Amino acid sequence: MPTLSIPALDEVVYLEPGETVLSGLYKAGFSYTVGCRRGGCGICKLDVIEGSFSYERPVADTVISTDERTDGTCLSCRAIPESNITIQMREYEVRLVNPLLRQINEKARLRAEALAAAPDTPTTPDAGAGDD
Amino acid sequence: MGVMRMGYAHVKVTDMTEAKNHYNGTMGLYETHSDVTPDGAKRVFYKGWDEWDHHSVVLEEGGVGVVKYGWKVEHEADIDDIEAKARTFGLTVERMSKGDNPEIGDGIRFVTPSEHVFEVYHQATAVGTEVGTHNPEVFPRHLVGIGVPALDHSLITTGDVGTMERMLSDVFGFYATERVQTSLDDDHECVGTWMTSNNQIHQMAVIGGPQGKLHHFAFRLEDWNSVGRAADLMTMDDVPIDIGPTRHGITRGQTVYFFDPSGNRNEVFAGGYLAFPDRPTNVWTVDQLGKGIFYHDRELNERFTTVLT
Ligand code: FES
Ligand SMILES: [Fe+2]
Repeated sequence: MPTLSIPALDEVVYLEPGETVLSGLYKAGFSYTVGCRRGGCGICKLDVIEGSFSYERPVADTVISTDERTDGTCLSCRAIPESNITIQMREYEVRLVNPLLRQINEKARLRAEALAAAPDTPTTPDAGAGDD
Repeated sequence: MGVMRMGYAHVKVTDMTEAKNHYNGTMGLYETHSDVTPDGAKRVFYKGWDEWDHHSVVLEEGGVGVVKYGWKVEHEADIDDIEAKARTFGLTVERMSKGDNPEIGDGIRFVTPSEHVFEVYHQATAVGTEVGTHNPEVFPRHLVGIGVPALDHSLITTGDVGTMERMLSDVFGFYATERVQTSLDDDHECVGTWMTSNNQIHQMAVIGGPQGKLHHFAFRLEDWNSVGRAADLMTMDDVPIDIGPTRHGITRGQTVYFFDPSGNRNEVFAGGYLAFPDRPTNVWTVDQLGKGIFYHDRELNERFTTVLT
């Protein structure tokens, strides 16, 4: 259960396994400047200050240098967290544009946390449907 | 008449398989050739259904952005003429030979003041449109995806728009149909120019920005309806749309901006009024740039000036 922490906003966002950082943030109701969404323009860069991620789809070498491959620079439209990660924005902060989605994401995260805390509980397909 | 049109746009893509899905499967271009460069990069050549020359789009694997543009001239002698004008302008011109580009003849190559590579040629292998010339139907029966008929134009960025405008005018004989200026005063700076050699509203547009970058290259469509249908297909194929369907104030063209799977911006473009060299150039001031670019939003989105490949 990867989570994405935004210390600046005191937010923790829940990501589906295999979901990109950008997709997770947008699905949770947040917005920030993005461009091509395909790893080609570099505008969606942010810093991952804790945790790890990988790119499973191509990104252009011209937008990410060799140093940036290892210094936490994250092309958020392509990056898929491998663990819980903590991010820091560069120029503009992530902003909440859809509180409803944020609420839904919050519930998904709490459910996932509860499940993780009780590993022996069998997972049911509709687990958490209305368990708030 | 010199330059007739932008004959080809040669661009880089990060993944050829995904790129082919997009340019063939979604855009509906016809693959005419594929090969591997001496340094091992895969290339695929395409044409639109209503184009007769061998190709108009070349994809090359490895990176993003534009490799070069090819400009087709009407007469063989136009090549020498443009070569002389380019030298007079102060550009370094080299000769290119038949076969340097598959199915393209002899010509010249130079780097523009904006640091883009331009090639000028006269001969290209004719393969014919998909409807032929003998009592032709109005479009091919089995188009794939959007089914774009042809490459239309491109927008590039440079640190010095004025010099690039002068080059396109002095060397190619282009004229500006529309311009964006910092003011209407004599000491204004030109921050954008839309240029052509004929009645097409623009073949190449240039705006201020970094040197050597691609803003977008565009495919022609017939009308609003086809622009709307193109956007529908983009949604079905999960193509990231930048903006649109909307209209440009500049050129009056109807448009969707979107991204290919490598992040290069594409456009589908319809309409645009007929250009004439003696028509007074439309002038936009930067405070109205939003309306000039996106006529309905009247506001530039944050990506317009920042997202380039
Ligand atoms: S949005 Fe272009 S690289 Fe991520
Ligand atoms: Fe355009």
